[in-house]
Amino acid sequence: MSEYIFLFDLDSTISKKEILPTISMRIGKLEKMRELTEATMRGEIPFRTSFLNRVKILTPVNVSEVNALVAEIPLNEAISQFIRENRERCYVLTGNLDVWISGLMRKIGMDQHVYCSKAEVREDRITQVISVVDKELMAKQFVQPLVVIGDGDNDSGMAKYADIAIGFGGVRNIAPSLLRNIDYAFYDDIRCAEFLKSLL
Amino acid sequence: MDKKKITVIICCAGMGTRLGIGTTKALVNINGKPLILHQLELLDQYDDIRIVLGYQAERVISVVTKYRNDIMFAFNYDYKNTGAAASLSKALPGAREYVVSMDGDLVVHPQNFKEFLDYNGECIAVSDCNSDEPVHIDVENSKVVRFSKNGKYEWPGLVKIQSGRLTPHSGHTYEMLNTVLPIDVLHVQTRDIDTPDDYDRAVAWVEAGYERTGGKNE
Ligand SMILES: [Mg+2]
Repeated sequence: MSEYIFLFDLDSTISKKEILPTISMRIGKLEKMRELTEATMRGEIPFRTSFLNRVKILTPVNVSEVNALVAEIPLNEAISQFIRENRERCYVLTGNLDVWISGLMRKIGMDQHVYCSKAEVREDRITQVISVVDKELMAKQFVQPLVVIGDGDNDSGMAKYADIAIGFGGVRNIAPSLLRNIDYAFYDDIRCAEFLKSLL
Repeated sequence: MDKKKITVIICCAGMGTRLGIGTTKALVNINGKPLILHQLELLDQYDDIRIVLGYQAERVISVVTKYRNDIMFAFNYDYKNTGAAASLSKALPGAREYVVSMDGDLVVHPQNFKEFLDYNGECIAVSDCNSDEPVHIDVENSKVVRFSKNGKYEWPGLVKIQSGRLTPHSGHTYEMLNTVLPIDVLHVQTRDIDTPDDYDRAVAWVEAGYERTGGKNE
Protein backbone atom coordinates (compact mmCIF):
# COMPACT_ATOMS: atom_id res chain seq x y z
CA MET A 1 0.00 0.00 0.00
CA SER A 2 1.24 3.49 -0.87
CA GLU A 3 1.25 6.53 1.41
CA TYR A 4 -0.34 8.87 -1.11
CA ILE A 5 -2.87 11.44 -0.01
CA PHE A 6 -5.32 12.33 -2.79
CA LEU A 7 -6.13 15.99 -3.24
CA PHE A 8 -9.13 16.83 -5.42
CA ASP A 9 -10.28 20.01 -7.07
CA LEU A 10 -14.09 20.29 -6.84
CA ASP A 11 -15.53 22.09 -9.89
CA SER A 12 -15.47 20.00 -13.08
CA THR A 13 -13.28 17.40 -11.39
CA ILE A 14 -15.68 15.97 -8.81
CA SER A 15 -18.71 17.82 -10.18
CA LYS A 16 -19.97 17.34 -13.72
CA LYS A 17 -20.57 21.08 -14.06
CA GLU A 18 -19.03 24.33 -12.88
CA ILE A 19 -20.93 24.96 -9.65
CA LEU A 20 -21.33 28.75 -9.52
CA PRO A 21 -22.46 29.15 -13.16
CA THR A 22 -25.00 26.36 -12.63
CA ILE A 23 -26.43 28.15 -9.59
CA SER A 24 -26.49 31.49 -11.45
CA MET A 25 -28.48 29.93 -14.24
CA ARG A 26 -31.16 28.96 -11.72
CA ILE A 27 -31.47 32.57 -10.62
CA GLY A 28 -31.13 34.12 -14.08
CA LYS A 29 -27.65 35.59 -13.70
CA LEU A 30 -25.74 33.22 -15.90
CA GLU A 31 -24.19 35.63 -18.41
CA LYS A 32 -22.22 37.73 -15.98
CA MET A 33 -21.13 34.67 -14.03
CA ARG A 34 -20.04 32.80 -17.11
CA GLU A 35 -17.86 35.63 -18.39
CA LEU A 36 -16.04 35.82 -15.07
CA THR A 37 -15.70 32.07 -14.70
CA GLU A 38 -14.34 31.53 -18.21
CA ALA A 39 -11.83 34.38 -17.93
CA THR A 40 -10.65 32.99 -14.59
CA MET A 41 -10.18 29.53 -15.94
CA ARG A 42 -8.15 30.88 -18.81
CA GLY A 43 -5.97 32.56 -16.18
CA GLU A 44 -6.86 36.12 -17.27
CA ILE A 45 -8.19 37.34 -13.91
CA PRO A 46 -6.56 36.40 -10.61
CA PHE A 47 -8.65 33.84 -8.82
CA ARG A 48 -9.22 35.94 -5.70
CA THR A 49 -10.54 39.03 -7.52
CA SER A 50 -12.76 36.97 -9.74
CA PHE A 51 -14.06 34.87 -6.88
CA LEU A 52 -15.05 37.89 -4.79
CA ASN A 53 -16.91 39.32 -7.78
CA ARG A 54 -18.66 36.03 -8.42
CA VAL A 55 -19.75 35.79 -4.79
CA LYS A 56 -21.33 39.25 -5.13
CA ILE A 57 -23.52 37.98 -7.97
CA LEU A 58 -24.96 35.28 -5.72
CA THR A 59 -25.16 37.35 -2.53
CA PRO A 60 -28.86 38.24 -2.96
CA VAL A 61 -29.77 34.54 -2.75
CA ASN A 62 -30.37 32.76 0.56
CA VAL A 63 -27.36 30.70 1.60
CA SER A 64 -29.53 27.70 2.45
CA GLU A 65 -31.00 27.81 -1.04
CA VAL A 66 -27.57 27.85 -2.72
CA ASN A 67 -26.38 25.09 -0.40
CA ALA A 68 -29.33 22.87 -1.37
CA LEU A 69 -28.80 23.52 -5.09
CA VAL A 70 -25.06 22.74 -4.84
CA ALA A 71 -25.80 19.46 -3.07
CA GLU A 72 -27.85 18.38 -6.10
CA ILE A 73 -25.20 19.14 -8.75
CA PRO A 74 -24.48 16.02 -10.82
CA LEU A 75 -21.13 14.36 -10.03
CA ASN A 76 -18.56 12.30 -11.90
CA GLU A 77 -19.73 9.05 -10.41
CA ALA A 78 -16.56 6.94 -10.54
CA ILE A 79 -14.40 9.71 -9.07
CA SER A 80 -16.96 10.46 -6.31
CA GLN A 81 -17.17 6.78 -5.49
CA PHE A 82 -13.39 6.56 -5.20
CA ILE A 83 -13.57 9.44 -2.71
CA ARG A 84 -16.37 7.82 -0.68
CA GLU A 85 -14.52 4.50 -0.55
CA ASN A 86 -11.20 6.05 0.45
CA ARG A 87 -12.37 9.02 2.47
CA GLU A 88 -9.58 8.87 5.03
CA ARG A 89 -6.98 9.44 2.27
CA CYS A 90 -8.88 12.00 0.21
CA TYR A 91 -9.18 15.78 0.61
CA VAL A 92 -11.04 18.41 -1.38
CA LEU A 93 -9.28 21.69 -2.12
CA THR A 94 -11.59 24.33 -3.60
CA GLY A 95 -11.98 28.07 -3.76
CA ASN A 96 -15.69 27.67 -3.20
CA LEU A 97 -17.32 28.84 0.07
CA ASP A 98 -17.80 26.62 3.10
CA VAL A 99 -21.37 27.82 3.59
CA TRP A 100 -22.32 26.87 0.03
CA ILE A 101 -20.67 23.46 -0.31
CA SER A 102 -21.17 21.91 3.14
CA GLY A 103 -24.16 19.84 1.97
CA LEU A 104 -22.29 18.47 -1.03
CA MET A 105 -19.22 17.69 1.09
CA ARG A 106 -21.37 15.74 3.55
CA LYS A 107 -22.85 13.82 0.63
CA ILE A 108 -19.43 12.55 -0.52
CA GLY A 109 -18.07 12.09 3.01
CA MET A 110 -15.66 15.00 2.79
CA ASP A 111 -17.19 17.34 5.39
CA GLN A 112 -14.14 16.94 7.65
CA HIS A 113 -11.75 16.75 4.69
CA VAL A 114 -12.19 20.02 2.84
CA TYR A 115 -10.05 23.14 2.52
CA CYS A 116 -12.10 26.01 1.13
CA SER A 117 -12.85 29.72 1.30
CA LYS A 118 -14.94 31.01 4.21
CA ALA A 119 -17.76 33.50 4.60
CA GLU A 120 -19.78 35.03 7.41
CA VAL A 121 -23.55 34.52 7.29
CA ARG A 122 -26.34 36.44 9.02
CA GLU A 123 -30.02 35.69 8.56
CA ASP A 124 -29.24 33.29 5.73
CA ARG A 125 -27.32 35.90 3.71
CA ILE A 126 -23.59 36.31 3.19
CA THR A 127 -22.40 39.46 4.95
CA GLN A 128 -18.73 39.15 4.04
CA VAL A 129 -16.09 36.79 2.70
CA ILE A 130 -13.54 36.04 5.41
CA SER A 131 -10.86 34.18 3.45
CA VAL A 132 -10.18 32.98 -0.09
CA VAL A 133 -8.20 29.79 -0.23
CA ASP A 134 -4.86 29.71 -2.07
CA LYS A 135 -4.66 26.18 -3.42
CA GLU A 136 -0.93 26.29 -4.01
CA LEU A 137 -0.22 27.35 -0.42
CA MET A 138 -2.58 24.72 0.95
CA ALA A 139 -1.01 21.94 -1.12
CA LYS A 140 2.44 23.02 0.04
CA GLN A 141 1.44 22.37 3.67
CA PHE A 142 0.86 18.65 3.17
CA VAL A 143 3.73 16.54 4.49
CA GLN A 144 2.63 13.23 2.96
CA PRO A 145 3.28 12.34 -0.70
CA LEU A 146 0.51 13.83 -2.82
CA VAL A 147 -1.58 12.83 -5.79
CA VAL A 148 -3.35 15.93 -7.10
CA ILE A 149 -6.33 15.89 -9.49
CA GLY A 150 -7.70 19.01 -11.15
CA ASP A 151 -8.69 20.70 -14.39
CA GLY A 152 -8.27 24.47 -14.13
CA ASP A 153 -5.61 27.14 -14.29
CA ASN A 154 -5.73 27.57 -10.51
CA ASP A 155 -4.87 23.88 -10.04
CA SER A 156 -1.42 24.41 -11.58
CA GLY A 157 -0.09 25.70 -8.26
CA MET A 158 -1.07 22.59 -6.35
CA ALA A 159 0.16 20.38 -9.21
CA LYS A 160 3.65 21.77 -8.54
CA TYR A 161 3.69 20.17 -5.10
CA ALA A 162 2.29 16.86 -6.27
CA ASP A 163 4.30 13.69 -6.53
CA ILE A 164 1.80 12.67 -9.17
CA ALA A 165 -0.24 15.40 -10.88
CA ILE A 166 -3.32 14.37 -12.84
CA GLY A 167 -5.45 16.46 -15.18
CA PHE A 168 -9.10 15.55 -15.59
CA GLY A 169 -10.60 16.75 -18.88
CA GLY A 170 -13.84 14.79 -18.79
CA VAL A 171 -16.00 17.87 -18.18
CA ARG A 172 -14.05 20.66 -19.82
CA ASN A 173 -10.67 20.88 -21.49
CA ILE A 174 -7.73 20.84 -19.12
CA ALA A 175 -6.35 24.40 -18.82
CA PRO A 176 -3.21 24.74 -21.00
CA SER A 177 -1.15 25.98 -18.02
CA LEU A 178 -2.11 22.86 -16.08
CA LEU A 179 -1.50 20.50 -19.01
CA ARG A 180 2.15 21.61 -18.97
CA ASN A 181 2.47 20.67 -15.28
CA ILE A 182 0.89 17.24 -15.07
CA ASP A 183 2.10 13.68 -15.34
CA TYR A 184 -1.14 12.13 -16.59
CA ALA A 185 -4.39 13.22 -18.19
CA PHE A 186 -7.75 11.49 -18.33
CA TYR A 187 -10.90 12.34 -20.26
CA ASP A 188 -13.03 9.54 -18.88
CA ASP A 189 -14.27 9.39 -15.29
CA ILE A 190 -14.06 5.59 -15.01
CA ARG A 191 -10.53 5.30 -16.41
CA CYS A 192 -9.39 8.07 -14.09
CA ALA A 193 -10.85 6.30 -11.03
CA GLU A 194 -9.27 2.99 -12.12
CA PHE A 195 -5.88 4.64 -12.23
CA LEU A 196 -6.40 6.26 -8.83
CA LYS A 197 -7.19 2.83 -7.40
CA SER A 198 -3.93 1.48 -8.78
CA LEU A 199 -2.12 4.17 -6.77
CA LEU A 200 -3.67 3.22 -3.42
CA MET B 1 -4.22 -14.05 -24.73
CA ASP B 2 -6.76 -12.43 -22.39
CA LYS B 3 -7.04 -8.80 -23.47
CA LYS B 4 -7.79 -7.77 -19.88
CA LYS B 5 -4.26 -8.78 -18.93
CA ILE B 6 -2.72 -6.28 -21.31
CA THR B 7 -1.73 -2.62 -21.01
CA VAL B 8 -0.83 -1.05 -24.36
CA ILE B 9 1.63 1.84 -24.30
CA ILE B 10 2.13 3.96 -27.42
CA CYS B 11 5.16 6.24 -27.20
CA CYS B 12 4.70 9.46 -29.17
CA ALA B 13 6.64 11.94 -27.02
CA GLY B 14 9.52 12.83 -29.29
CA MET B 15 7.91 12.02 -32.60
CA GLY B 16 9.05 14.99 -34.62
CA THR B 17 9.67 14.30 -38.26
CA ARG B 18 12.21 14.74 -41.00
CA LEU B 19 9.30 14.75 -43.41
CA GLY B 20 9.30 18.52 -43.52
CA ILE B 21 5.66 18.92 -42.50
CA GLY B 22 6.04 20.25 -38.95
CA THR B 23 3.76 17.70 -37.37
CA THR B 24 4.35 14.86 -34.97
CA LYS B 25 4.51 11.49 -36.71
CA ALA B 26 1.48 10.33 -34.72
CA LEU B 27 -0.60 12.80 -36.75
CA VAL B 28 0.91 12.14 -40.17
CA ASN B 29 -1.87 11.48 -42.63
CA ILE B 30 -1.90 7.94 -43.97
CA ASN B 31 -4.67 7.39 -46.49
CA GLY B 32 -6.97 10.04 -45.10
CA LYS B 33 -6.38 9.35 -41.40
CA PRO B 34 -3.77 10.28 -38.80
CA LEU B 35 -1.40 7.39 -38.10
CA ILE B 36 -2.41 7.26 -34.41
CA LEU B 37 -6.01 6.46 -35.43
CA HIS B 38 -4.83 3.61 -37.66
CA GLN B 39 -3.09 2.22 -34.58
CA LEU B 40 -6.09 2.74 -32.29
CA GLU B 41 -8.42 0.99 -34.75
CA LEU B 42 -6.25 -2.11 -34.39
CA LEU B 43 -6.64 -1.79 -30.61
CA ASP B 44 -10.42 -1.42 -30.49
CA GLN B 45 -10.80 -4.42 -28.19
CA TYR B 46 -8.23 -3.25 -25.64
CA ASP B 47 -9.33 -1.10 -22.72
CA ASP B 48 -6.07 -0.08 -21.04
CA ILE B 49 -4.35 2.07 -23.64
CA ARG B 50 -1.80 4.69 -22.62
CA ILE B 51 -0.30 7.25 -24.96
CA VAL B 52 2.90 9.05 -23.96
CA LEU B 53 3.07 12.59 -25.30
CA GLY B 54 5.46 15.51 -25.36
CA TYR B 55 5.86 17.25 -28.70
CA GLN B 56 2.47 18.67 -29.85
CA ALA B 57 0.68 16.95 -26.98
CA GLU B 58 -2.49 19.05 -27.23
CA ARG B 59 -2.94 18.33 -30.93
CA VAL B 60 -2.63 14.59 -30.42
CA ILE B 61 -5.05 14.66 -27.46
CA SER B 62 -7.66 16.51 -29.44
CA VAL B 63 -7.46 14.03 -32.35
CA VAL B 64 -7.46 10.95 -30.10
CA THR B 65 -10.26 11.98 -27.72
CA LYS B 66 -12.59 12.54 -30.68
CA TYR B 67 -12.07 8.88 -31.54
CA ARG B 68 -12.23 7.49 -28.00
CA ASN B 69 -11.90 9.20 -24.63
CA ASP B 70 -10.99 6.28 -22.36
CA ILE B 71 -7.27 6.67 -23.00
CA MET B 72 -4.69 7.46 -20.34
CA PHE B 73 -2.26 10.14 -21.48
CA ALA B 74 1.17 10.32 -19.88
CA PHE B 75 3.56 13.22 -20.41
CA ASN B 76 7.27 13.29 -21.02
CA TYR B 77 8.02 16.93 -21.77
CA ASP B 78 11.70 16.20 -21.28
CA TYR B 79 11.75 14.08 -24.44
CA LYS B 80 14.69 16.00 -25.94
CA ASN B 81 16.99 14.92 -23.11
CA THR B 82 15.72 11.42 -22.46
CA GLY B 83 15.43 8.22 -24.45
CA ALA B 84 12.26 6.40 -25.40
CA ALA B 85 12.64 4.24 -22.28
CA ALA B 86 11.83 7.30 -20.16
CA SER B 87 8.52 7.66 -21.99
CA LEU B 88 7.71 3.98 -21.56
CA SER B 89 8.68 4.13 -17.87
CA LYS B 90 6.39 7.11 -17.33
CA ALA B 91 3.37 5.08 -18.42
CA LEU B 92 4.14 1.97 -16.33
CA PRO B 93 2.54 2.78 -12.94
CA GLY B 94 -0.43 0.52 -12.31
CA ALA B 95 0.12 -1.42 -15.55
CA ARG B 96 -1.50 -4.85 -15.95
CA GLU B 97 0.33 -8.19 -16.07
CA TYR B 98 1.58 -7.68 -19.64
CA VAL B 99 2.74 -4.48 -21.29
CA VAL B 100 2.70 -4.03 -25.05
CA SER B 101 5.01 -1.17 -25.97
CA MET B 102 4.97 0.34 -29.44
CA ASP B 103 6.24 3.49 -31.16
CA GLY B 104 3.90 6.19 -32.38
CA ASP B 105 5.37 5.96 -35.88
CA LEU B 106 4.79 2.24 -36.38
CA VAL B 107 3.03 1.32 -39.62
CA VAL B 108 2.31 -2.36 -39.23
CA HIS B 109 0.53 -5.11 -41.12
CA PRO B 110 -2.83 -5.48 -39.28
CA GLN B 111 -2.85 -9.28 -39.39
CA ASN B 112 0.74 -9.51 -38.13
CA PHE B 113 -0.09 -7.06 -35.38
CA LYS B 114 -3.09 -9.11 -34.30
CA GLU B 115 -0.95 -12.25 -34.17
CA PHE B 116 1.55 -10.37 -32.06
CA LEU B 117 -1.11 -9.17 -29.61
CA ASP B 118 -2.70 -12.62 -29.39
CA TYR B 119 0.63 -14.42 -28.95
CA ASN B 120 0.50 -16.36 -25.72
CA GLY B 121 3.23 -14.82 -23.58
CA GLU B 122 6.14 -12.47 -24.00
CA CYS B 123 7.44 -11.73 -27.48
CA ILE B 124 9.51 -9.28 -29.48
CA ALA B 125 8.58 -8.30 -33.03
CA VAL B 126 11.23 -8.32 -35.73
CA SER B 127 11.02 -7.09 -39.29
CA ASP B 128 13.19 -7.06 -42.38
CA CYS B 129 15.71 -4.26 -42.36
CA ASN B 130 14.32 -1.13 -43.97
CA SER B 131 15.26 1.89 -41.87
CA ASP B 132 18.18 4.31 -41.94
CA GLU B 133 19.34 3.83 -38.39
CA PRO B 134 17.93 0.51 -37.32
CA VAL B 135 18.30 -1.30 -34.02
CA HIS B 136 19.29 -4.82 -35.13
CA ILE B 137 18.37 -8.06 -33.49
CA ASP B 138 20.17 -11.38 -33.19
CA VAL B 139 17.88 -14.39 -33.23
CA GLU B 140 18.83 -17.89 -32.08
CA ASN B 141 16.37 -20.81 -31.91
CA SER B 142 13.35 -18.53 -32.48
CA LYS B 143 14.35 -16.30 -29.59
CA VAL B 144 15.71 -12.80 -29.51
CA VAL B 145 19.07 -13.18 -27.77
CA ARG B 146 20.49 -9.68 -28.10
CA PHE B 147 20.11 -6.27 -29.63
CA SER B 148 23.08 -5.54 -31.86
CA LYS B 149 24.55 -3.33 -34.57
CA ASN B 150 24.42 -5.83 -37.41
CA GLY B 151 21.96 -8.61 -36.69
CA LYS B 152 19.91 -10.09 -39.49
CA TYR B 153 16.66 -8.44 -38.46
CA GLU B 154 15.51 -5.01 -37.41
CA TRP B 155 13.56 -4.14 -34.28
CA PRO B 156 10.49 -2.06 -35.12
CA GLY B 157 10.12 -1.03 -31.46
CA LEU B 158 7.34 -3.49 -30.72
CA VAL B 159 7.48 -5.72 -27.64
CA LYS B 160 5.17 -7.57 -25.26
CA ILE B 161 6.57 -8.24 -21.83
CA GLN B 162 5.48 -8.88 -18.23
CA SER B 163 5.28 -5.51 -16.53
CA GLY B 164 6.90 -6.90 -13.38
CA ARG B 165 10.09 -7.58 -15.34
CA LEU B 166 10.55 -3.97 -16.43
CA THR B 167 12.65 -1.54 -14.41
CA PRO B 168 12.25 2.19 -15.11
CA HIS B 169 15.05 3.47 -17.33
CA SER B 170 15.89 6.75 -19.04
CA GLY B 171 17.97 5.57 -22.00
CA HIS B 172 17.01 3.49 -25.03
CA THR B 173 14.20 1.00 -24.75
CA TYR B 174 16.46 -1.81 -25.98
CA GLU B 175 18.78 -1.12 -23.05
CA MET B 176 15.81 -1.59 -20.76
CA LEU B 177 15.02 -4.90 -22.46
CA ASN B 178 18.57 -6.24 -22.67
CA THR B 179 18.39 -7.60 -19.14
CA VAL B 180 15.29 -9.71 -19.76
CA LEU B 181 16.36 -11.57 -22.92
CA PRO B 182 15.94 -14.16 -24.40
CA ILE B 183 12.34 -13.63 -25.50
CA ASP B 184 10.32 -15.37 -28.23
CA VAL B 185 10.51 -13.78 -31.66
CA LEU B 186 7.61 -12.95 -33.99
CA HIS B 187 8.05 -11.73 -37.54
CA VAL B 188 5.95 -8.72 -38.55
CA GLN B 189 5.85 -6.57 -41.66
CA THR B 190 6.31 -2.88 -40.94
CA ARG B 191 7.16 0.32 -42.80
CA ASP B 192 9.20 3.28 -41.66
CA ILE B 193 8.22 6.86 -42.29
CA ASP B 194 11.44 8.74 -41.65
CA THR B 195 11.85 10.47 -45.01
CA PRO B 196 9.45 11.70 -47.73
CA ASP B 197 10.39 8.62 -49.82
CA ASP B 198 9.57 6.34 -46.89
CA TYR B 199 6.27 8.11 -46.51
CA ASP B 200 5.29 7.55 -50.15
CA ARG B 201 6.20 3.87 -49.90
CA ALA B 202 4.27 3.42 -46.65
CA VAL B 203 1.18 5.07 -48.10
CA ALA B 204 1.38 2.88 -51.23
CA TRP B 205 1.73 -0.19 -49.02
CA VAL B 206 -1.33 0.65 -46.93
CA GLU B 207 -3.29 1.59 -50.05
CA ALA B 208 -2.48 -1.78 -51.63
CA GLY B 209 -3.97 -3.52 -48.60
CA TYR B 210 -0.54 -4.22 -47.06
CA GLU B 211 0.53 -6.27 -50.06
CA ARG B 212 4.25 -6.77 -50.39
CA THR B 213 5.03 -3.67 -52.39
CA GLY B 214 7.09 -0.65 -51.55
CA GLY B 215 9.65 -2.00 -49.09
CA LYS B 216 13.00 -0.23 -49.34
CA ASN B 217 14.79 -3.50 -49.94
CA GLU B 218 12.40 -5.05 -52.41
MG1 LIG C 1 -12.05 22.82 -11.52
